[in-house]
Amino acid sequence: MTPKTSRRVAQAIITFLFIYLATPIVVTIIYSFSTSWVKSIAPAGLTLKWYGQLVTNPEFTTALIRSLGLGLLTTVIAMICFLPVVFYANVYSPSVKSHLRFITVLPFTIPGIILVTGLIQLYANLPIPKILILVLAISLLSLPMTYQALDNAFIGRDFRAMFEQALVLGDKPFTAFVKIIIPNIRAGILVAMLLTFTSAFGEYVLTNLLLGGNFETLKIYMFRLMQSNGQASSVLTTIYFLFLALISLILIIIMQRYSAPHKSPKEVPDH
Amino acid sequence: MRTRLKVFFPLSILVVLVLLLPILIMVIASFQSTDGSFSLANYQQVITNHYYLKAIRNSLGISVVASAVSLIIAVIGAWALTRLSQKTKNILITLFNMSASFAGVPLAFSLIILFGNAGVWKAMTAAMHLKDSLEIYSLTGTTLAFTFFEIPLGIMFLFPVFEELNPEWREISAVLGAKPLFFFKKVILPVILPNMIEVFTLLFANAMGTYETIYALTGNSIVTIPILIGTLIDGGLTANIPLACTFATLFALVMTFIVWVGNRVTRSKREAA
Repeated sequence: MTPKTSRRVAQAIITFLFIYLATPIVVTIIYSFSTSWVKSIAPAGLTLKWYGQLVTNPEFTTALIRSLGLGLLTTVIAMICFLPVVFYANVYSPSVKSHLRFITVLPFTIPGIILVTGLIQLYANLPIPKILILVLAISLLSLPMTYQALDNAFIGRDFRAMFEQALVLGDKPFTAFVKIIIPNIRAGILVAMLLTFTSAFGEYVLTNLLLGGNFETLKIYMFRLMQSNGQASSVLTTIYFLFLALISLILIIIMQRYSAPHKSPKEVPDH
Repeated sequence: MRTRLKVFFPLSILVVLVLLLPILIMVIASFQSTDGSFSLANYQQVITNHYYLKAIRNSLGISVVASAVSLIIAVIGAWALTRLSQKTKNILITLFNMSASFAGVPLAFSLIILFGNAGVWKAMTAAMHLKDSLEIYSLTGTTLAFTFFEIPLGIMFLFPVFEELNPEWREISAVLGAKPLFFFKKVILPVILPNMIEVFTLLFANAMGTYETIYALTGNSIVTIPILIGTLIDGGLTANIPLACTFATLFALVMTFIVWVGNRVTRSKREAA
C-alpha cells in the first residue's frame, strides 16, 4: 500500500466507525424534533413542541440543578484530593506514581455496582447523610480521569526548579503552589475539572442504588421519562448530548491552544 | 515527612472512607448468613442455584463476545487514527472519550428509538415492507449495545501503542526483503499482541461491570451479575444484601486477577525489551 492509499483507507475506516457510533444519537435528535414517526421512512413533521414542554417542566429544572450541584461538589473534592498528590508525585517522588497507578484500573476491578454494594452494607444503618457518602463515592470513581488529566499537565517542564525558587525567595509552600504552580498548569487543571464534572454530572448507578431513587438527578429523570414518554425523553437525551458536545468542544479548543508545550524541549529555568 | 502527610491526607481519607472500609465490610458480610453468623452458605448458593449460574453465563457470554468484537474493530480503528493529521486525531480522541459518557441510559434510549418495538428502524422497514429480525431487547441486542462504548474505549487504549510503532521499521524490513505479511507477523504482531491482550482484559472487565446500559435497555429481563446484584440490593422483599456482597466480592476478586494478568503480560514484555 502506498502512503496515499493507506491514508484513504484510514479515512474510510474512521468515517465508517463514526457513522456507526453516531447513528443512534442522530436518530434520537431527529426524533426529538418530530411530530410523530410511525410506519414511515421520515418523520411526519417537525416541531419544537416537545422542547417547550420539557424545559418549562419544574421537574426538569430541579433534576438539572441537582446534577449540576453533584458535578461541582465532586469536582472540588477530586481536586482537593488529587492536585497536591499529583504535584508531589511528579516533582518530588516519581516512585509514588507506580503506587498511584492502582487508581487507574479501579473502575475496571471495582465498578460502581460493586462499590455501591459495599457502601450500602457499611453505611445503610449509620446516621451519616447518604448524600455526603454519594458525593465522596462519585469523587473516588472519577479519580482515574482526574489523575490522568492532571498527570499530563506536569509533562515536560521543570516544576521543581520553579517551586524551589519561589521557596528561596521566601514564599510559604502553599503560597508558592498557588502562585507559581497552579497558573502554569491551568490548562491541565481545567481539562481535569471538565472531565471530572462530566462524569459526576452523568452518574447513575451509585445515585440510584444508594439513595433509592429519592434524589432525582438528570439521568434518573431521563430513565423515568424513558418508561413513560418517548418524546420528552428524546428531548432530554438530545440536551444531554449537546451538553457533552459543548464540553468536548471546549476540551478540543484547550488542546489545540495548549498542546505546544508537550512537544517543546524541557524549559531551562534561568537562575 | 509532615508535608508528605499533609499532601496525602485528603486522598487517604477519601480512599479509606469510600473504598477500603466498604470493601472490607463487604467481604466480611459475604461470609455472613441472614442471622449474622459465619457461614459459607452464600458462596454455596452462588455455585448451585440455576438462576445465579444463568446470570454468570449471560455475563460471560455478552462480555466475551462484545469485547472480542470491539477489540478487533478498535485495532483497525486505532491504526486508521494514526494515519490522520494531528488536528483530526485530537478532535477524534476527544469525541471517542466523550462517547464513553454517552453510555448508559442515553445510549440505551437511543438504541430503543432506533431499533425498539416502536422504533425508527421498525417504522422504516414497515414502510418499505421489509422483514426485520433485529431484537434489541435480547442477548444479541445487548451485545450490540456494548460495542457502542467498548469500541471507543478500545481505540483510546490502543491508539498510543500504534502511535509508538516506528514507520521506518517497515522500510527497513522491505529493504531487507521481507514481504508485508512476514513483516506484520514478525515485527508488528509481537509488539502489539501483549497490548491487545491487556486491552482485551480491560474491555472484558468493563463489560462485566456494566449495569446502567443493560438495566436501561432490558430492565431486569436479561439477568447478568451486575443486574443480579442490583436486584439483591434494591429488590424490596427479595433483597438480600449479604448475598449481593458475596457476588460483589467474587466479582472484585476475579476482575482484579484478570486485570493484573493483563497488566503483567505487557509489563514483562516491556522489561524484556
